[in-house]
Amino acid sequence: MKVTRMRVARIILIVIGLAGLFLGALIMVQKERPDQILGVIVWIGAAIIVHDGILSPLLLLLDVWMRRAGRRIPFGVLVIIQGGVVVGAIMSMLVLPEIYKKSLGTKNPTILPLDYGLNLALFWAAVALLTAAACALYLRRRRSSRDAEQVQPTSAA
Amino acid sequence: MRRLLSYTQQALAAPPRNPRMAVVIGRLLAIAFLLCFGTGLYSHFLQEPEPWMRFSTVPAQLYQVTQGIHITAGIACFPLILGKLYTIYPQLFQTPPVKSPLHLLERASIALFVGASLVQITIGLLNTYQWYPWKFGFREVHWALSFVVIGSLAIHIAVKLPMIARFWSRNSEGSRELRGETAVDETPDAAAPVAESAPVGGVTGRIFRWIDGAPEPEPAVSRRGFMTAVGVSTATVVALTAGQSFAALSPFNIFAPRVKGTGPNALPVNRTAKAAQVLDTAVSPDWALTISNGRRTVTLTRAELLALPQTTVELPISCVEGWSQMATWKGVRLRELLNKVGADTSQGLKLTSLEKKGGYRVTQMGPEYAFDSSTLVALEVNGDTLDIDHGYPARMIAPGRPGVLQTKWLSKLEVEA
Repeated sequence: MKVTRMRVARIILIVIGLAGLFLGALIMVQKERPDQILGVIVWIGAAIIVHDGILSPLLLLLDVWMRRAGRRIPFGVLVIIQGGVVVGAIMSMLVLPEIYKKSLGTKNPTILPLDYGLNLALFWAAVALLTAAACALYLRRRRSSRDAEQVQPTSAA
Repeated sequence: MRRLLSYTQQALAAPPRNPRMAVVIGRLLAIAFLLCFGTGLYSHFLQEPEPWMRFSTVPAQLYQVTQGIHITAGIACFPLILGKLYTIYPQLFQTPPVKSPLHLLERASIALFVGASLVQITIGLLNTYQWYPWKFGFREVHWALSFVVIGSLAIHIAVKLPMIARFWSRNSEGSRELRGETAVDETPDAAAPVAESAPVGGVTGRIFRWIDGAPEPEPAVSRRGFMTAVGVSTATVVALTAGQSFAALSPFNIFAPRVKGTGPNALPVNRTAKAAQVLDTAVSPDWALTISNGRRTVTLTRAELLALPQTTVELPISCVEGWSQMATWKGVRLRELLNKVGADTSQGLKLTSLEKKGGYRVTQMGPEYAFDSSTLVALEVNGDTLDIDHGYPARMIAPGRPGVLQTKWLSKLEVEA
């Protein structure tokens, strides 16, 4: 029963999927010139290369490097720092193109009106501050729980 | 060297890289994709309605909310998709790379899914600040790719459905196995998280055994830490940009391409009078608004429009690019003008702007908007005469419509038969 339900669901999903792909391709050939379609395909290929071939290996290198450094740093601290770097990096990925586009000029002054470079610097400072605070909090908790462990047997004695 | 390779192996098999995590993030990403798709369809048909389509004019903020969700969910997709791809990255190196023609098809569909999704959210983001560093048409490609992305999402879910079921909840069979709560059965199962492969012979096998001989490093990435990082990243990118669409978050808007309250009349501008080439025609003393219904025609100068009964409404300008802004508009009710030419409440309108060119120079307006009591031919905004960049001498403002259809620099209103 469960297996047949899953089979029906899978068939329906595949049909929807193929219909979507067909419709997408149809719209593409109807509305775009061949050279423009080629441009889209190049973008899709480039997106895969940039992610799988550049971003992910870089992250892997960073991961390996952190593992080496990690031998001297408590695990929790490493995790908190990684979290801070991830949040900052993802925000930067969204903001750096804005900074670049603003330097090229925008179609009118109400597009990209902020000082995104300054805001990004302040943002990183805030991330660093919060990360440091979280690490300090973590280390203090760890120390006090260790102390408690050490104190307990003596008080029991 | 041996230790370094061992670290790399461990990093690739980091704890967050497991099917349960892929399912958890995949679900969130699927929700974001479906939100984008649904709101995108709505926005598309508002701009290019089929003749039988009618839309709701209430609440007036409807489009402001749907398009705000469209853009905000699209921004949220960045951390979610990167997190999702992180959990499945080792799959890229699966061996053998291709097992069967069906497997090749599956891998190709995933490549298309990943590539199309990344392109879709990237060109969408760049469009929010009108940056088009490509030669294809943004609207057409964004429209076509939405079907490609949703189509390949459906296929992806179909392919992975047994695994999704195994890892759906905390207490699903697969999730418990992953936590070591039940013994992993020995049946060969593609979904098993760390399928123990047969000993590899030859040079590769020797290298692997040599690497495995290195002292086991401490784990350096935690599952909970990973989930928290993805969650905090998503919350952060939303909190610091969604203020362009949602007033409650505007104090935290430090990264969005648009900021509420900027620009002439304290209102951001999409297309300027200069870009629309109306700098001369919009201020010409000869300007008059022509309203026609078949052979009945009325022509009104700005002074004549100002002499008619004026109505004040609070309506948002809600741009396709996601930003929006509430404003106070003052002008003449459109339906009163339409009554002057004897239009029927079932009839729509064709609006023509003074713009020299552009996709929105001539647009249609359905009767539900034309005869709504809050639709105005606006002459003032926020207590001042319309700025030329906001459509002086007269512009349309209707509830729940995309900004590009709130025609600026009005020239002609023609009732359609």
